[in-house]
Amino acid sequence: MNHSAESEQAAPTAVDASAVLAERVSHLYGQLPIGIAMTFVIGALATYELWEVQLRQRVILWWGLVLVVTVASAGLYFAYRRAGERTHAKRWLSWLAVCALAIGACWGLAAAVLFPLNSSEERVFLTILLVGATSAGIVLFAASWPLFAMYAASIVGPFTYVLATSGSRLFTEIALVLPLFYLVSVGVAYRLHHVLVSGYRLRQSYRRLTEEHHALNLRIEDQIQELVDAQREIQASGRKLALYSERAPIAVFEMDSNGTILDMNPAAETVFGHAASELVGRNLVRTLIPQDETALDLAWWADFAAQRNPEAGIRTRCLRRDGLEIVCEFSLTPLVNEAQDIVSVIAQCRDITQQLEAERIKKEFTSTLSHELRTPLTSIIGSLQLINTGMFGELDQDAAELALVAERNAQRLLDLINDILDLERIDSGRLSLHAEDVALDELLQESVVLNRAYAERFGVRLRLQAEPPKVVVHADRRRLLQVMTNLISNAAKFSPEGGHVELSASCTNARVQVSVEDRGPGIPQEFRSRIFGRFAQADSALTRKKGGTGLGLAICKRLIELMGGEIWYADREGGGTSFHFKLPAAAAPD
Amino acid sequence: MPTQPLRRICCVEDDDDIRRIVRLSLERIGGMTVDLVADPAVAIDSMIAFRPDLVMLDWMMPGIDGPALLRKMREVPETRALPVVFITAKASQRELAELSALGAAGTISKPFAPKDLPGQLRAIWNALP
Repeated sequence: MNHSAESEQAAPTAVDASAVLAERVSHLYGQLPIGIAMTFVIGALATYELWEVQLRQRVILWWGLVLVVTVASAGLYFAYRRAGERTHAKRWLSWLAVCALAIGACWGLAAAVLFPLNSSEERVFLTILLVGATSAGIVLFAASWPLFAMYAASIVGPFTYVLATSGSRLFTEIALVLPLFYLVSVGVAYRLHHVLVSGYRLRQSYRRLTEEHHALNLRIEDQIQELVDAQREIQASGRKLALYSERAPIAVFEMDSNGTILDMNPAAETVFGHAASELVGRNLVRTLIPQDETALDLAWWADFAAQRNPEAGIRTRCLRRDGLEIVCEFSLTPLVNEAQDIVSVIAQCRDITQQLEAERIKKEFTSTLSHELRTPLTSIIGSLQLINTGMFGELDQDAAELALVAERNAQRLLDLINDILDLERIDSGRLSLHAEDVALDELLQESVVLNRAYAERFGVRLRLQAEPPKVVVHADRRRLLQVMTNLISNAAKFSPEGGHVELSASCTNARVQVSVEDRGPGIPQEFRSRIFGRFAQADSALTRKKGGTGLGLAICKRLIELMGGEIWYADREGGGTSFHFKLPAAAAPD
Repeated sequence: MPTQPLRRICCVEDDDDIRRIVRLSLERIGGMTVDLVADPAVAIDSMIAFRPDLVMLDWMMPGIDGPALLRKMREVPETRALPVVFITAKASQRELAELSALGAAGTISKPFAPKDLPGQLRAIWNALP
């Protein structure tokens, strides 16, 4: 495209001068064989005619010279043909000039050397030959008048001189006429030269025009093909769109700017119970939305049509044909033309009645779980704790053990309920964090105090780094302690008896990193991908032995992310696992 | 901080089992005198008769719930100044904030540990102005 645009800009008259020169040179070389043949034949004829007379040596010498020049010229001719190129035209023209000069010189020499020695008859013969050779030059060198001028001068010059000094009155007169003849011939050659040049120019222009015409044709063909392809694509996407709309489970309406329904898909018929023929031509807001509904009323529509901005997530009550009220979520997109007028409005709508009901049930269930399960657990754990304090007297050893088992498992059940509730709150976005400035060193010490007794149950000691950095994080203190408790209890559970869990913290680039490291068996390979998932536990037998809900790390991950941080784990060098989390620091260390 | 130690507790709780545990915990471990009320409708009369140092209220009860009972107590001269501690299974910060806005002296979340309950109540008592 660009290429043709460039050639378009070059006007047809601006012909490439070098191309014209090349054509002229080619023309000149095309004539050269005729010139060579003529020189050879006429030279041979002259040699034959002048043979009888004395000074045969001179004639032979001259003939030899003619042969050399014709052979050299033929050599030049073949060299040009073999090169077969149209470049270096100037150089080839120079060589041709040398050639023309040489041929002209041959005839000039004939005039100078042979003319004075011959009789009148032969002189006339020579004169005719020389004038003929000069005239023939016009045709031969018409494509370059300077070449002809040189060629003719090399003949006419010596010949005029010889005639003028011959002593004959007639020849002297001819000598006077010869320069005139020369000038006229050069004039004719000059005119011919220009005629030829304009001819070649025309030819060039024509060729270029033809090329451009051809290129233009190709371009038009390409463009037509592109248009045809584009049309096909548009048709295909139109069919695809129609299919999407037809098969989509979401109700789709097309309306005008007033909300009058123009078209609707089968899903819309299903959702609202109306056939398309009943709704097309009627107003969507007036027909499908109850009058007391405010989320999508006529005032809203007027505002929407004025603003022309897409709207999404509009929840509104809708009326079905059978009188049932449903809740729908609408997305409305105005299609606007270049003049900023609404061409049509596309509404996509989903019946979310069941989804809302499911959400309500889930919420109710969670609330029930929270209250109805905790209340009996309060009694169970409370009773068992009171028994286990020994305030009602010492129990039989087996009974005492069983009471401890019951208390421990009741506690586990409570932990599980709490964890499920936490996860549910986080996942439904109902968990609100109460961020405050928390001194990290104090938090770490507190987490050690809180979990020391738990770790000691496994014969594991907690070891806090000697001087944790005095840095403040902006986080929910209670939730951060929950994360620490989860990480420490995990680490304690998986540590060998008599081992220890190390807690440390560091602060770099306004981010605080806390690490909890154990010397346990490490995380099994097959478990790594789901370690932060729900109910993730590597070994369920171990769970039964040591407790845990399998939700702790899932909660940790969500809590840390809610606080703008990240959590990950790594294999600890020398065995064991280290869990790390990073949080943004609220203030630099003092 | 009140001058006399915490001795008399009135507990309004609809769950029989929890009432029993509260009584055992406060009497046997805490050495306190406990008045248990199962029906919130008669709670205020019971409080007037018993004259407790502190009242424990369950948050969720049939008929009158804890917060409604607290509001009623504030209307009765004999119970107006009594410090109230809520027992609740709800744990969200928003709900706890709601309770302190009502004028609760403190909250104890369910499930509570019976052996720690007297200590928790004494801590709340000692923190009173």
